[in-house]
Amino acid sequence: MHKTKNIIKLIHSLVSDNRKIRIMNVCGSHEHTIAFSGMRTLMPENLEIIPGPGCPVCVCPESDIINAINLSTRDDVILVTYGDMLRVPTQKGSIRSQGKNFRMITSPFEAINIAKSNPDKKLVFFSIGFETTTAPTAGILEMGVPDNLFILSSHKLTPTIMEVLVKDAEIGIDGFIAPGHVSAIVGSNAWNVFSEKYGIPTVVAGFEAENLLLGILEILQQLKNGKAETSNVYKGVVKPEGNVQAQKIMNKYFEVSDVNWRGIGCIPASGLELREQYAERNARKVFELEDIKEAKIPGCICGTIVLGKAYPSACKLFKKACTPKTPKGPCMVSMEGSCNIWYKTLPAD
Amino acid sequence: MKNSNSKIEIGHGSGGRLTRELIEKVFLKHIASEELRPLEDAAYVHLKTHHSAITTDSYVVRPLFFPGGNIGKLSVCGTVNDLVVSGALPRYLSIGFILEEGFSVESLEDILQSIREAVQHAGVHIVTGDTKVVEKDKCDGMYINTTGFGEVVRTLHSDNVSDGDVVLVTGTIGDHGTAIAIARNEFDIKAPVASDCAPLNNLLTPLFDIEGLKWMRDPTRGGVATVLAELSGSTGFGIEVFEDQVPVREDVRFISDMLGYDPLYLANEGKALIIVSKDSTDKILDILKKHSLGQNAAIIGHITSDFRRVKLRTRIGGERLLDLLEEDLLPRIC
Repeated sequence: MHKTKNIIKLIHSLVSDNRKIRIMNVCGSHEHTIAFSGMRTLMPENLEIIPGPGCPVCVCPESDIINAINLSTRDDVILVTYGDMLRVPTQKGSIRSQGKNFRMITSPFEAINIAKSNPDKKLVFFSIGFETTTAPTAGILEMGVPDNLFILSSHKLTPTIMEVLVKDAEIGIDGFIAPGHVSAIVGSNAWNVFSEKYGIPTVVAGFEAENLLLGILEILQQLKNGKAETSNVYKGVVKPEGNVQAQKIMNKYFEVSDVNWRGIGCIPASGLELREQYAERNARKVFELEDIKEAKIPGCICGTIVLGKAYPSACKLFKKACTPKTPKGPCMVSMEGSCNIWYKTLPAD
Repeated sequence: MKNSNSKIEIGHGSGGRLTRELIEKVFLKHIASEELRPLEDAAYVHLKTHHSAITTDSYVVRPLFFPGGNIGKLSVCGTVNDLVVSGALPRYLSIGFILEEGFSVESLEDILQSIREAVQHAGVHIVTGDTKVVEKDKCDGMYINTTGFGEVVRTLHSDNVSDGDVVLVTGTIGDHGTAIAIARNEFDIKAPVASDCAPLNNLLTPLFDIEGLKWMRDPTRGGVATVLAELSGSTGFGIEVFEDQVPVREDVRFISDMLGYDPLYLANEGKALIIVSKDSTDKILDILKKHSLGQNAAIIGHITSDFRRVKLRTRIGGERLLDLLEEDLLPRIC
């Protein structure tokens, strides 16, 4: 506690009254820690900690979810996906409300078991997420999957979206807290581009509040000294080169593609699709899935929130029409979604 | 009924011969108080005080058996605890069973055995009961309703609570919710977390004599946070809770983090939140800590008129609001 108090004191000493500093986190678990620890209530007024695109559920395109719903209504299909995806609203409802044959899984290995115990069905694994969840999906492909297992890939790349944010002057990012889990896969070197090319201090941090505070302090010290480096305060877990083996198998099975981000639109080279030689595993090809035009949710500003251009509390629907029980937009659904987190952790007054 | 493969049939709820057989050969084997035995339409009971407390609760927990207990034990403890936190000495229980056709009589006997142990432990009598049977797939094996009658020693209204009072909890929180989450087998987690399900009357009745005792509640569904948010709402006082003083088992904290649960919102079935005046705090803490169920009792916060609602002072010194439970991640917890 004494050490924490000192870090907070140092943070205060490094933020001046006449300049606003905006630090963005790009990981739902970081935002979770920041909000649940009440960290923002301890920060100087001129320091903003902005939640960015850290929630894969929130950015999963509506088209993929509707395709997943439709697949699950086929008698010959069992659709499996991670729990939060079941409740994400679309113009056609959610997988839970409109789907038929669907199951929640917590690991891709469960998909293999379900496929094996239902040999007369086609098992579609709706695989979503950033690099952290891509690696285990590539892992099961490398292990070998049954012939009746297909992948609907909705994977996204973190560095690409971060670069989009950096180039957007409206956001104005002074520093990045790089995502801990993603960094464990891609390595801290993956963020060098931000410090070297764009001059933005970038710090890999873990998930304890104290570790995040250290990360924030590191960014502020770099800003103070006019430096921009990629540093790592989560060294026990994240290596500069990352998990090379995981990167190798991800690269073996997936290729970079232009994909839609919900509420944002198509971002070139920001997603991962199964490579052509694994087309027989690709649900998008096997079931000839088509892109469905995204419907705008009236009043919802999830896309703007994901880009760090607005806080959840700025949305007209927040805490009124949109609650964790009645989510209108995707960011209110997942435990990693900024709206869901902010809903549960508003300041006491 | 001796065959271990015996199953509940629709006729067991008919009120006829099969019902009689089930009551005499199964229920009375385990639950046989002198008040129940005559099997009349109502039981005759004596309460020593004119002022009595009555409470009722239905139990729909899934799964029926979980580490640390089962639906039977829960149905006794939950109702006994509702009486004792209201300042009453629990005396009598009624029990109603809704059984599903095809339910194993052996499992029913296991549950009745737990009920017997729990009523003995709590020192209460089951004096009347009822059994109905519904068709297969119409209920998840069994539902139970219990109603409890107790003799009031102290009335513990929330009006008693005042500025400067201290908030105590009798032990680690979130054990029951975590045990149920694991028992559902929806996650591939193995951990030795058992439900805290226990009758609290032996722990709490000694506190009735202490003047500084203001109010008590067993934080079941919605957990500690929801109970405190309700108390703050009904009294108009603010409550400050110190995160680093709230006792949480290491494994419960770890599993909660993993599954996205907040222990402050997880159900407990053998814990009480107690509001006491500042000058009685040590005495009450002393009594609690001497009992096996109160060894981890701790001061977790205080009542204040400086603000309204419930404020959590986090481990790093930040603050956030603790409101009523919003999203029930674990339905059918009790």
